[in-house]
Amino acid sequence: MDLTGLVQDIEASVVGEWMRTTVRAVPIVEAIHVMAIAVVFGTILVVDLRLLGVRDTKRPYTQVSRELLVWTWAAFVVAAVTGAMMFAANAMTYYQNTPFRLKLLAIAAAGLNMLVFHFVTGRNVDEWDTERTAPAGGRVAGALSILIWTTVIVLGRWIGFTKGYDFSIPEEVDLDALGSGIDVLLDFGDALPSGAPPSDAAP
Amino acid sequence: MIEFAEWLQATPFSEAIQAAGWLVPLLQSIHILMIGVVFVSILTIALRVLELVRMDQGFADVWRRFAPWMWTGIVVMTLTGALLVAAEPVREFTSTSFWIKMLLLAVGIASAIVFRRSLAPMVLAGDTAHEFSPGIKIGAIATVVLWLAIIFLGRAIAYDVEIWGVLSLSS
Repeated sequence: MDLTGLVQDIEASVVGEWMRTTVRAVPIVEAIHVMAIAVVFGTILVVDLRLLGVRDTKRPYTQVSRELLVWTWAAFVVAAVTGAMMFAANAMTYYQNTPFRLKLLAIAAAGLNMLVFHFVTGRNVDEWDTERTAPAGGRVAGALSILIWTTVIVLGRWIGFTKGYDFSIPEEVDLDALGSGIDVLLDFGDALPSGAPPSDAAP
Repeated sequence: MIEFAEWLQATPFSEAIQAAGWLVPLLQSIHILMIGVVFVSILTIALRVLELVRMDQGFADVWRRFAPWMWTGIVVMTLTGALLVAAEPVREFTSTSFWIKMLLLAVGIASAIVFRRSLAPMVLAGDTAHEFSPGIKIGAIATVVLWLAIIFLGRAIAYDVEIWGVLSLSS
């Protein structure tokens, strides 16, 4: 499979083009990404602290985890979709960015940690559900989860300081034409002249 | 104000933060981690006021579980945020989003303090049957929206002209 070709196709896609040419697309999509990350990290932390016996120790583990699961997954989907949109805007740049690759690996590690806990170390949850602290396997999973998700967020910020931006508002854009804010905040129409600078894709 | 920002940006303290290239991303990372802690704490408290989560617990238990995390997170965010402003005061002070964020932040913190003070002793003693008034419930929803707006504006600081157009202080 030609991964580079696929990445170039993603960058040339309608979504990528829309992200690059719609002035408010990048900031709004990034802001939603941050909101989603907040819910993902915050809810996972509550579950991890329960595994570690730090908080919510009087409530059964499954009660704490099940009521948050829907929030975590919903927010994760939002983070993944907005993340994919940001990727599409500058696909080749992200693809070649080391922190971005490490971030994907870290997310995969978080998923692996979750699967190991779900299918192996946490299978006997009925035996310790109401215990103050999970057994060693559960505590390791909880600690690893906090560590990995913290790493994911640090790597995400690191991307922003290493990848650089290869598109921006062109000089010729008339700021007045951008409107005065609130009234046009959610106007997703193209405010840029067509022919915004293409991102310098291939090296 | 801009003179103050330029003066601050030229101080050795500010220059030291700027010079350590890893420090700003690190501070931003801590800031975002704390957004997760604070927002989910506020969301859980608000949803409990609305009687949508943790109904097996009294409100007092939920408040004691999450309020300390909320306050600690707000303090850490204020500290990391202050250092980030010290590192790039001109960018922040010429950002419309920054000033609106500061205004909403003040409203958010003040309303949390007022809410805490309004809690009757019997609520804090663990009266599980306590039901909040419609006004407080609307306030809970408004609080969640307020903090979403604060998060949005925080991210928008970097894109002030794109978001605000001619209303951007930097345009």
